[in-house]
Amino acid sequence: MMQWTSFVQKAQSLIDPANFTLPTLTSTDRNPSKASLFRQQFRLPDSQNPLQEIAAELILPIPHTSSSTSSGDQPRNLDRAGNRYAGRLHLSERFICFTTQPTSFVPSATHSVSTHWAGQTNGTGPFGNGFTLPLCCVRRVERLNSLSHVFSLALTTWNGALGKQQSPGFIPQRFTIQLVGSRQACERFCDGLKKGLRECMKEIESLRVVVNDCYSEYLLSGAKSKGQDGDNTEVRQPPDAGLGMIFRYPGDARKLRDRSKMRLWGEYFRENGRNATLIRQPTFHKLIRVGLPNRLRGEIWELSSGSLYLRLRSPNLYTETLSKFSGRESLAIDEIEKDLNRSLPEYAGFQSEEGIGRLRRVLTAYSWTNAEIGYCQAMNIVVAALLIYMSEAQAFFLLSVLCDRLLPGYYSTTMYGTLLDQKVFESLVEKTMPVLWDHLTKSDVQLSVVSLPWFLSLYINSMPLVFAFRVLDVFFLEGPKVLFQVGLAILRINGEELLDIQDDGSFISVLKSYFSRLDESAHPRSENPKLRAITRFQELMVVAFKEFSGITHQTITEQREKHKDAVLENIESFAKRTSIRNLGPDSKKLGMDDLGVIYDRFYEVLYEHQQRQRLLDEEKKRQQRKRVERTSILGPPVDREVGRVGLGPSPTHMDYDAFRDFLAATAKWAVGDTPGSSRKESNVEQSANSFRGFGKSLAWNNKSEPADHEFMQRLFRKWSTEPSEGLSLQNVVNGLARLKGPRDIMNNINYFFDLYDDNGNGTVDREGILRMSEALLFLSRRGFDGAITPSEPLEEVGERDRFEQDKLSTDERFLGSVSSFIRRCFEYADPSNPEGKATQERKDTDTEEATEKLDAFAIGDDDEEEDLIDIADEAKPEPSDSKKQNSDTQHNRGASEAANPALDPNNPLHITLPTFRMVILADELLEQFFDTFFPQSFRLSDQSLPAAKLTSLSSNLTTFSNINTPKPHTNAAAGATVAGASGGIVPPGKGLRGVLDNIVSDGIRMAAEVKKRMDEAQRELERNALSRPQEDDEEDDEEDYDPRSGTSAPPTIVGGISSWGAGAYGADPERRSVRDTDRDLLEGAEVVSIHKKEDTSLLDEKEEHQHAAEGSSSRQQGQSSSHSQNDGNVVSKVEFES
Amino acid sequence: MSESTSTNTPKPSSSVKLVLLGEAAVGKSSLVLRFVNNDFQENKEPTIGAAFLTQKCSLPTRTIKFEIWDTAGQERFASLAPMYYRNAQAALVVYDVTKPSSLTKAKHWVAELQRQASPGIVIALVGNKLDLTNDGNEASGEPQADGEQQPPAATADGDDAAGEPQEEQDATPGDARKVSTREASSYADEEGLLFFETSAKTGVNVVEVFTAIANAIPESSLKSGRGAGAGTGQTTLGGGRPAEDSRVNLGDRSTATAKEGCAC
Repeated sequence: MMQWTSFVQKAQSLIDPANFTLPTLTSTDRNPSKASLFRQQFRLPDSQNPLQEIAAELILPIPHTSSSTSSGDQPRNLDRAGNRYAGRLHLSERFICFTTQPTSFVPSATHSVSTHWAGQTNGTGPFGNGFTLPLCCVRRVERLNSLSHVFSLALTTWNGALGKQQSPGFIPQRFTIQLVGSRQACERFCDGLKKGLRECMKEIESLRVVVNDCYSEYLLSGAKSKGQDGDNTEVRQPPDAGLGMIFRYPGDARKLRDRSKMRLWGEYFRENGRNATLIRQPTFHKLIRVGLPNRLRGEIWELSSGSLYLRLRSPNLYTETLSKFSGRESLAIDEIEKDLNRSLPEYAGFQSEEGIGRLRRVLTAYSWTNAEIGYCQAMNIVVAALLIYMSEAQAFFLLSVLCDRLLPGYYSTTMYGTLLDQKVFESLVEKTMPVLWDHLTKSDVQLSVVSLPWFLSLYINSMPLVFAFRVLDVFFLEGPKVLFQVGLAILRINGEELLDIQDDGSFISVLKSYFSRLDESAHPRSENPKLRAITRFQELMVVAFKEFSGITHQTITEQREKHKDAVLENIESFAKRTSIRNLGPDSKKLGMDDLGVIYDRFYEVLYEHQQRQRLLDEEKKRQQRKRVERTSILGPPVDREVGRVGLGPSPTHMDYDAFRDFLAATAKWAVGDTPGSSRKESNVEQSANSFRGFGKSLAWNNKSEPADHEFMQRLFRKWSTEPSEGLSLQNVVNGLARLKGPRDIMNNINYFFDLYDDNGNGTVDREGILRMSEALLFLSRRGFDGAITPSEPLEEVGERDRFEQDKLSTDERFLGSVSSFIRRCFEYADPSNPEGKATQERKDTDTEEATEKLDAFAIGDDDEEEDLIDIADEAKPEPSDSKKQNSDTQHNRGASEAANPALDPNNPLHITLPTFRMVILADELLEQFFDTFFPQSFRLSDQSLPAAKLTSLSSNLTTFSNINTPKPHTNAAAGATVAGASGGIVPPGKGLRGVLDNIVSDGIRMAAEVKKRMDEAQRELERNALSRPQEDDEEDDEEDYDPRSGTSAPPTIVGGISSWGAGAYGADPERRSVRDTDRDLLEGAEVVSIHKKEDTSLLDEKEEHQHAAEGSSSRQQGQSSSHSQNDGNVVSKVEFES
Repeated sequence: MSESTSTNTPKPSSSVKLVLLGEAAVGKSSLVLRFVNNDFQENKEPTIGAAFLTQKCSLPTRTIKFEIWDTAGQERFASLAPMYYRNAQAALVVYDVTKPSSLTKAKHWVAELQRQASPGIVIALVGNKLDLTNDGNEASGEPQADGEQQPPAATADGDDAAGEPQEEQDATPGDARKVSTREASSYADEEGLLFFETSAKTGVNVVEVFTAIANAIPESSLKSGRGAGAGTGQTTLGGGRPAEDSRVNLGDRSTATAKEGCAC
């Protein structure tokens, strides 16, 4: 079990989706793609990809507030310090970004190892200087030709120009970028920019809407309109800046120096642009570190987290989502309701219907857009905090950024992100504060029980709100590392006290009291008043960002990578343990190991399917050359990792295709004959093939395709409680528990019968009987692995049987058993229609049909068949050879039965469970089949994994496709086999195995064909209802067995059915030879089984009677069959030894 | 109840780590709040990860200081649970007598604890929200030798409760019981668990649960707490917890919510 688990995990790690997000990515390392780093760096939506990048210099104009000159003459102002930044300019589909951080994302830009791709930043977030500008914000781009060797662009933005009126003194935001690079590179970049600008022009309306919700617009324009007096009174209502506008913002605004902060921001906006068009300069970062003013807090969060860009992309998504799902119920909604009243209850806004309503709507809307996360406790607290400072829509998009990108996996159903970051935090503590760490370990205090809520609710319910928001200010700009830095700083500052604690309780209380005194002076006894003025919180920030400045995004990324597997394994073993334990009473029939195997296999298959589907979807999109436009712009990142139980919500139900894969990994018979060919969706298959190029590690490429057989469909339906949903783990376990439970042949027989009892009334009709036999052949077509051993051969056969009974001969015999199964089923079937014809007659003719079916397997050699027929005809009166029945001759009689009730729709018949049981128990092989083979064929932990051997196995098989396109040399080989079979020459290698497979395949097809023929015959019957031609035996026989008749024999009512066997194959030499062998083998088996039947005397004299009538030819056939059987043994021996 | 508060002489004191597990909204936090503060709140702060509280319980021969880890009930927090029940000496597995699915979940937790938690952990199965049923007088599955139990009051309170806003309002105000006492108690017997039916709202049986657990903790597995008898009963639990003593700094801060003696 352990081995298998690790194997699964290994396989899962190999199919890491991160490797396939970009077509250019072929390596199997787990580093995120460049595109995702790019998006992280600039906090862009998932739809963005790095298209162009170039070294550039950003030249900002002298702020117009300090100098009123127009922006036309930058060159003269360039000497101003701080206005010129060297960095890189990036272009995506909808954004142009500039940062002074060393970054490079375009795949062609560097070929170095992935960890160095993005320089030191590693997608750390936009805290360098520069800008992230949606292209729709660009009003005009001019190429400046000031100096011939410099490639300069002047960008004019819509900053402040989207309002209805513009003040006369309005100065548009305009700045210059000098591209640094070859002329060609510059031109290329400009072309890309031009294209992007053209495409984004239409988005200006969205921009107008979004920008109008920003408080900065109001701040700047409002200030202006005040100056103008008069008619502007009704112009603007301030945009919604959160519940704080109604219920006051937490903290004392005076103490927080809100006004002066506001003034500073107003000035910054005027000089550097606002909201979407803001340019980041060092002051921006400083202003954030000192804490945001209340009314701008939401907007800056939105901007620095990048959720603004999501909102820009579809401004109405929030309201649309709410109305789309209005009135719908979900588990998440129930859970949300429970927590609404207990989310920041200390804030007045959340004691009111207004605040609770907003909270409810935002959480609900998000639970709909990301159903995988739904709702997790702690989200209520975070959203409540956001809502104090921002509108519902803003909070909605920001929550999405939080859950999907800033806190990946935190709120997932397994919370693996939370656990992972706890591990990371612990390891950082160990690294940075070894003494404290030792003490905690010694005192058996588990750090994460304390720190987990810090991370999960972003310190919001750990620290007083005002301070928690200060942490959030930095967090949204600089990313998750902030949480770690602050956490480490808390421990560092309290280090001495913590070294005294002895248990969880005191640990918690030390920190609790620290948090409650964050506003106090950090150095109350200091002489220095300045030092005294420093609060504990300020101290915390300084320690966090100065002392732990070494904790970078890179550090966190590396640490997460390091601990990820262990954390996921922990979660998975917990999930597995829980899941298996909760499987209910039925599962107790299976051992723990078995359950473990089922569990692993179940999820392996599910994930593989999920994975496959994902890749195919992506591939399809790629082929259609459609840029990935997601239905919703929210939700988890496209390149996020999936495919492990530990990573969150997993698919819980297998569809039929997945079930086939599951079976193929469980039972040998469920492995398809032709890799790849049995998949139904041909286009899917196509793309799957086209994928093989770069998906070397994809497990399923090396795996055999599962078979697709009606039996498997029945199993699927039988196991599922809700077929439309598919199979749950519980379904699969229950299904297998019935089969693999305590060994019980009766149970197995009943189970099999039930599978075919379509109406649930305890009967199986004609159709069902044929299907049963098909299934028996299907199940047995890969041999029995020794689960079935026929008893010692009977003397008639045994005398020439110089070889041990081995697998091959078992196969042969089993074919015989199946054919007699059909025959007996029909013999003992009850009429479903009480007014039916005489039982006697029906049974005979039923038998005949069975015979025809057997004919289907019997593929004869020309000469011999003619002989047989002759003999049969002549020997017909001889009753003495009854012991060597050969059903081949039955049709002589059967055919004479003009009205064949077995084929007559007016004479439905059925077998009941007792009949079925009797028929099964009457046959040694079938009995063994149900006693051992059938349950054993489902391999769980008890046997080695068949999947491991599948590849070699299937390559040995002669497949359907081979049959359809016989190659000359195959024919020759088959010929040799035939020769070997009749002449005692041992043919080379694989021949007979292939032949046998052909036989089985043919047999399966034959059964289907028989049914088709029956339908045909039925129609014929109806047509000829009045005058039914009386066919005599000879004619029938001739048609039946004349090999030369080939395809020409016109199918008549009864004869047609039997003639088909010869007709269909007559022309093909390979086929005929196959049939020959097959037939002989079959007959051999038949003899045995019939003999046994008589011994057990389970069957009545009717059987005898038939035997007597048909016995004439069986002597000879019996002989020939024993011949070939022996030969078959030889062949098979060679085959298996080679 | 009075029996537990009557001691003045210093008794050996020891800490017991206790964890509460159970489906969401069965009243885990409320049970703890009732035990620790003798209080009941309709809207409690949600439990993120786990809440930590302490409360002392005086037994005739010793004082037990419960370190209570009250875990979050939401399903997805289940994978965090091992972090909290690690080294726990006692566990309260709570279900809601008006919600059969919660008993199933409780059984899962019991199985998890029996398999994964410290060997010898004392587990109590607790059916909460007894106030919503009208047979509060049959409440205690294992009646403690405690004459001051007040079943009639419980019944009366149950009727009162029907008038108050309740999450689990049932059509028949008197009795919303969906899990029979016998079913749960026979399961508890089978698994060797303590069993109680309680109401955090009315306080019925709450203290009894904790007292019974305190009594059931084997002396040998108790580590010594602070106090006069620091040396007594000092043993190492399962190798995981080193023997320790003299936690002089535990002080008032650590037990801000705790009172002396049991909260009753």
